[in-house]
Amino acid sequence: MTVVIGFEGSANKIGVGIIRDGEVLSNPRRTYITPPGQGFLPSDTARHHRAVVLTVLKEALDQAGLQPADIDCVAYTKPGMGAPLVTVALVARTVAQLWGKPLLGVNHCIGHIEMGRLITRANNPTVLYVSGGNTQVIAYSERRYRIFGETIDIAVGNCLDRFARVLKQISNDPSPGYNIEQMAKGSQYVELPYTVKGMDVSFSGILSYIEEAAHRLLTSDQCTAEDLCFSLQWQETLFSMLVEITERAMAHCGSQEVLIVGGVGNLRLQEMMAVMCEERGAKLFATDEFCIDNGAMIAQAGWEMFRSGQVTELEDSWVTQYRTDEVEVTWRP
Amino acid sequence: MHLTQELELFPDVRVTQLLFKEVKNAAELRQSAVDGKINGALINPTMLVDPFQVLVAANKAVCFQKNGKMKTRALSSEIIFNLSPTNKISDAFKRFGISDGDDCVMVVVVQDKSETPCFDDIVSKVDGCQIPVKDISLLSDHMKIKKLYKVTPQEEKCGTLLDAVVSRMATKDVL
Amino acid sequence: MAVPEFLSTAELLKQGAEARVYRAQFLGKPAIVKERFPKRYRHSVLDEKLTHRRTVQEVRSILRCRKAGIPAPVVYFVDYTSNCIFMEEILRSTTVRDHIVGAQQSDAGNDVELRLLAQRVGQTLAKMHDEDVIHGDLTTSNMLLRRGPQDKESELVLIDFGLSYISALPEDKGVDLYVLEKAFLSTHPNTELVFEELLKSYAASSKRSPAVIKKLEEVRLRGRKRSMVG
Repeated sequence: MTVVIGFEGSANKIGVGIIRDGEVLSNPRRTYITPPGQGFLPSDTARHHRAVVLTVLKEALDQAGLQPADIDCVAYTKPGMGAPLVTVALVARTVAQLWGKPLLGVNHCIGHIEMGRLITRANNPTVLYVSGGNTQVIAYSERRYRIFGETIDIAVGNCLDRFARVLKQISNDPSPGYNIEQMAKGSQYVELPYTVKGMDVSFSGILSYIEEAAHRLLTSDQCTAEDLCFSLQWQETLFSMLVEITERAMAHCGSQEVLIVGGVGNLRLQEMMAVMCEERGAKLFATDEFCIDNGAMIAQAGWEMFRSGQVTELEDSWVTQYRTDEVEVTWRP
Repeated sequence: MHLTQELELFPDVRVTQLLFKEVKNAAELRQSAVDGKINGALINPTMLVDPFQVLVAANKAVCFQKNGKMKTRALSSEIIFNLSPTNKISDAFKRFGISDGDDCVMVVVVQDKSETPCFDDIVSKVDGCQIPVKDISLLSDHMKIKKLYKVTPQEEKCGTLLDAVVSRMATKDVL
Repeated sequence: MAVPEFLSTAELLKQGAEARVYRAQFLGKPAIVKERFPKRYRHSVLDEKLTHRRTVQEVRSILRCRKAGIPAPVVYFVDYTSNCIFMEEILRSTTVRDHIVGAQQSDAGNDVELRLLAQRVGQTLAKMHDEDVIHGDLTTSNMLLRRGPQDKESELVLIDFGLSYISALPEDKGVDLYVLEKAFLSTHPNTELVFEELLKSYAASSKRSPAVIKKLEEVRLRGRKRSMVG
C-alpha cells in the first residue's frame, strides 16, 4: 500500500488530496474568487492560499482518517504562478521534513493527465489540456508526454477571462468560462477569426477582434441581448479550433481516445468533442469534477512517480518553470 | 482513329475526340458550328498538348452543366472556355476555337451512353484528312502554348507541359 | 450527385482530421481525391466557410508552388459543390515520416542520408517561402519522397496545402517552421541534429531567411516563457 498526499496551488485554487493505490481518500479545496471584471493577482492569491492552507491540510487528513505517519510521500505541484506556488511548496517542504517523508515535485499538467487516466481508465489517450494558462494537445510516446499542438500565443482560459473582463458583468464564480457558457444561448452567427496552424492554434487575433467589437456593441447600447449570442459564437469558434487540433493530433498519432483535462473543459467543449469522436469512431473521456485543479491529481501523479522510484531531494525542490515534455515518464511502458 | 472515353464521374457520358489535318473548309465548319449544325466543339489543335487536356475540359463542362454553373450557353462552348487559362470568354474562343484559315481541327463530341455513336456525319462535313488522336503532339505548337499559359522553364523542371496546362485549367476559377 | 456516387466506389486511403483521402482512376489516370466532408461539431456556417476557403487555398498554393518549380501534385479537377479536389497520385513514393522512421530503425550509416534529406527539405521550404507560400501544416507526413526512374535521386513533393495561405511576413514563415519543428521533434524523437541541419540549409538557401529565423527564435521563446499558470 502506498499513500501519497498532494498539494496543489499553482493558480487561484488551493487543494490538498490524499490517494491510496488509486483510491481518493480526501480532496478538499478552496478557490480565491475575485470580483467580476478582475483577474487574480499573484500576491493576493498567495495571501489567500497562506491563510487557508493549513485548514485544508487538516481537512484532508481528517477526511481520510489518516495520521501523518500513514503518509509515504509528500507531492507538490510545480510550474505555475510564482507567489502562490511558493506558498504551497513551502508548506509541502515543511511537512515533509516534519514528518520525515520523501518529497516529490510533480508537473501540474502530468497531474491532470494521470488523474484523468485513473478516473476514466483511458489507456493511451490524446490529451487536450485546457486551463487558464495552458492550451496543449499532448500524446504519450517514448517516455514523454509530448506536446503535439498548443497555442502559439495566449491560452484559451486566459482568452475567456479577458473576454469576461471586457463584458464586465460576468462573474468569476466559479469561473468566467463557466459563466460565459451559461450566457451563451444566442443563435445568430457572427464570423470571427479562426486560426489553426498545423496542430497549433492562435487566440490573440480573435481576442483583439472581439475586444474591439464588444466595445463597439457596449458603447452603442445594444449589448445585453447581443453579448449572449456573441459569447456563443465566441465559444463556438474557440472550441472548434480546439476540437480541430485535437483531431489533427489524433490523425497524426493514429489515436482513438481523447481525454479532456483542465479547468476550461466545460460541457459545450465536451459535447463538440464527442461529436468529433463519434465521427471518427473514437472514444471521449472527460474527468468532470477532477477537471479543475485539485490536490488528488498531484497525489496521483506523485503516486505513480514515487512507485517508479522518483523523489525530489530537498536541495532540488526549488520552484521552476518547465514544460510537460521535459519530464521523463518512468512509470509507463 | 477517333478516341472515345467514358467519364468516371458521369458513367452515362461518352467523350469522343476526332482529329483532322489538311482541312480546307474551316470557315464553313465554323459557320456550321455557330448555326448549331455540328453537334460538337471545334478546337484549334495547335493549342492542345494531349487528349487528356480535352478530357479535363469536357469533364469540367459536364459537371458544371449538371450543377447549372456553366459560364457559357452550350456544352461545346463550355469545353472551349475550360481550355483557356483565363476567365474571358472571348479570349478563349479566339485562342482555342478555330479560325477561318485553319488547316487542322479537333472535334469533341459529348454523347449520352444511350445514343448510338455515329461520327459519319462529322467526318463527312470535314473536308480534310482524319488522323489518329494520339498524333495531336505532331500538331501542337509548344511555343505558343507556353506563352499563352505562361509556363516558366522552372515549372517544366517539376513536371510536363501537360501538367502545367492542366493545373491552370483546373484552378482558373479561383485565381 | 455524381461525385458522392463515384467516391462510394473509390478506395478510401485514410480519414484525416478534415478530409477523406481516396485513390481512384480519374480520366484514365491514377488519382487521389481529397474530400472535405462537413464537420458536425462546428457551426454549419463556420464549417461551410472554412471548408470552401481551405479548398480554394489548397489549389491556389499548389499552383503557386508548381509555377516556382516546387513539386506538388497536379490538380486535375475541383468540385466546389462537394469540396473535392482531384489530383495526381504521386506514384512510387513514401512519406518522409516513414522514411525517417525506417532509417532510424536500420542504424547502418543512415546519419549522412538523413542529413542529406534534411538539407533537401530545408532548401525546398526556403524556395516555397520565397514564393510567399505559407504551408500552414508542415509535418513529415505532408512531404513525400518520389523515387526517380532508375538511380536518379528521389524528389521531394509537398502535399496537403489545406491550411496554406499567401503571406510575405517573416512572422508567418517563422511560425510555419515552428509548426514543423514541433511536429518533427515530437514525431521523431532524438532528431534534434537532423532538424538543425534542415534549418541550416533553409537559412543558406534564401536571402530572406535571417528575418524568418529571427522570428522562429522569438516564437520558440514565447512558448518557453509562456506562463504555466493554472
